[in-house]
Amino acid sequence: MYSKDAGIIAMKEEYIQILGIAVVLIYGIFVVFLYAAEPRSLEEIPSKAIETVQNAATKGQVMTGTYEIDQSKFDEGLNAFRQNNFVLARDSFAKADPERRDAETQYYVAYSFYRQGWGRLSNDDAMFKQALESLERVNFIDKNFRSDDADLQLRTPAELKNELEEGLRVTADDFNPLKVLRERK
Amino acid sequence: MNDEITKETHDPVFLEDRREAALKVAAKQPDQVNLNSLYLRYLVLPAIFLTVALLGGLRIADDGAFVFFRPALVCLIFGTILLVLFARSGVLRLDGWFSESFTPLKNAANGFVIATLFSAAVQAFNSLLPEQGLTFWIVAFCFFWTLWNNLFADFDVRKLFRSLGGLFGLAFVTKYLILANLTAPAGRTWFEALTENPGQEAITRLLDLPRYSGTTGYIQFFAVGLFLLGLYLFPSTTRE
Repeated sequence: MYSKDAGIIAMKEEYIQILGIAVVLIYGIFVVFLYAAEPRSLEEIPSKAIETVQNAATKGQVMTGTYEIDQSKFDEGLNAFRQNNFVLARDSFAKADPERRDAETQYYVAYSFYRQGWGRLSNDDAMFKQALESLERVNFIDKNFRSDDADLQLRTPAELKNELEEGLRVTADDFNPLKVLRERK
Repeated sequence: MNDEITKETHDPVFLEDRREAALKVAAKQPDQVNLNSLYLRYLVLPAIFLTVALLGGLRIADDGAFVFFRPALVCLIFGTILLVLFARSGVLRLDGWFSESFTPLKNAANGFVIATLFSAAVQAFNSLLPEQGLTFWIVAFCFFWTLWNNLFADFDVRKLFRSLGGLFGLAFVTKYLILANLTAPAGRTWFEALTENPGQEAITRLLDLPRYSGTTGYIQFFAVGLFLLGLYLFPSTTRE
């Protein structure tokens, strides 16, 4: 009788221990999530949770080598890029490639900074610097990247980099009045 | 009726039945006690400590928004010292929580409980330390001084709890009563701040005091109280 009861207690002890570990894991993950996501209200918690799960899924894809860009978002970005709506284009590219691991998408991001920052009289240096940062990512992802978009006059990161660095440099040529006749590439 | 009762109480068979029933109840009681202590150890205590970990860094901004304030590195150091103090004073007997004679599952489950205790200790310090500025360093130094001295003192459980209660109580009063009352409310213009209460505004800016809602104090009072309750319920050993 005693040994039977002791057996039941031992079995229950194991169940309680397993349950305890599960509770700690679930509750602990919830606490860590709150401090990582920092929702500002109770209503924000579900949306932050979805965002966190999506980020985790993307990171998982990167780790397993199955990461792919969102083609529909990329197409939206490309349309906006061709209509000279560069802010919307970059927003769509960022959604298409959240991990910034696709050379083509990052090249368009760099190119969008270039086109937005280009001016007939003067260039926007801040935009050009951001373009150079994006180009560094392209080089890091694929050193031999070459765009096959006929709409772009500068097809390689080296050409675009040269154009950006020329734009950032102050030279005597900048004061040439004929400069206003040049075209954006 | 009374005759029947007298007859029954003197009946040897009836008495034997009663004795057996009483023995069964007595035999079952330790099992129930064991079960209750298991529930307490593996479910209630982790829930208490994780709730402290959740609430310890929660602040409420003036507009009612949550602000989850992550613990500073010094809180982790204080949490570690506190666990060492628990081990020294006998609140936590390591050989009673981890042993080769325990099953791996029990050791793992105990490890999770200790991890929740550590997270709660860290967040209790996060709750009581001012968030930034000169006051952070002053209070952190006071905490460090007290904990460091305690490390070399002769301790028992009662003395440790008294010391901790005093330390936490004083820190709570300093942060949530004194400093909170010295903090100027947010959302005032420069002109309003200078005309309505220039002293409060000056102290707020000088000491770099964060402006949180009064609700924060209530939440942190609950969190610190819950932590002390968890410590009170915490068994020093899990050996039967």
